[in-house]
Amino acid sequence: MHATVRSVIETAPAEDVCILDTEASPEHLSRGTARYADAMIAVVEPYFKSLETGRRMAGLARDLGLERVALVANKIRDERDLAAVEEFAAQHELELAGVVPFDEQLPAAERAGAAPLDFAPDSPAMEAIAALAQNLARSNGRA
Amino acid sequence: MKLAVAGKGGSGKTSISGTMARLLARDGRRVLAIDGDSNPNLALTLGIPAERMSAMPTLPRDLLDRSGGSALLTKTLEEICASHSVEGPDGVTLLVMAHPQHAGTG
Repeated sequence: MHATVRSVIETAPAEDVCILDTEASPEHLSRGTARYADAMIAVVEPYFKSLETGRRMAGLARDLGLERVALVANKIRDERDLAAVEEFAAQHELELAGVVPFDEQLPAAERAGAAPLDFAPDSPAMEAIAALAQNLARSNGRA
Repeated sequence: MKLAVAGKGGSGKTSISGTMARLLARDGRRVLAIDGDSNPNLALTLGIPAERMSAMPTLPRDLLDRSGGSALLTKTLEEICASHSVEGPDGVTLLVMAHPQHAGTG
């Protein structure tokens, strides 16, 4: 499967958007599945094991030569959570491309079997993800 | 833009992937969302009903030709999407790389 995903991403037209939701294990990176992506974001929660996983994945993505590698903080409840992620990112010289707040609407959407964007379109998490999408797409605009 | 979204299980990477895919499609971009997880659930986040996914045929195993040394797709991406992708809300095209072992779970 890894080689097929790699080839599909390689073939996808550069002017379109291709978003790969990867496996939870770092295997997709060590096996080069994401090699033809031009950016990778590692979604992290504000606790050590999650941050460490994100850092490892970011390191592997840099080794693959991806143009942009960044962390995205998710499920941020307060200033302390935010400070923990910001500190970690600075310490490891990683870009923090977005901050998504903890949002009760997301698990609620899952329980209801609905897309979060349909279930709670105006929720704080949806707004933060919209800002992230703009950030990533804007910096990737090619002449 | 070709973006890989990674993270530990439960980090919320699928919610973020699916939501960004739909928002970028609303912006007028052509969006291909690929579920590369062996326990796929991107469809739900995109808002595609489970029934539509279970009706989807599994990707054939012979999509890659390795005879020339490097792996080449035996079909074009358009051909693969025509037979194996699902169009979701806002016009997002979803391609699921692996289906769950047991139908009806997850």
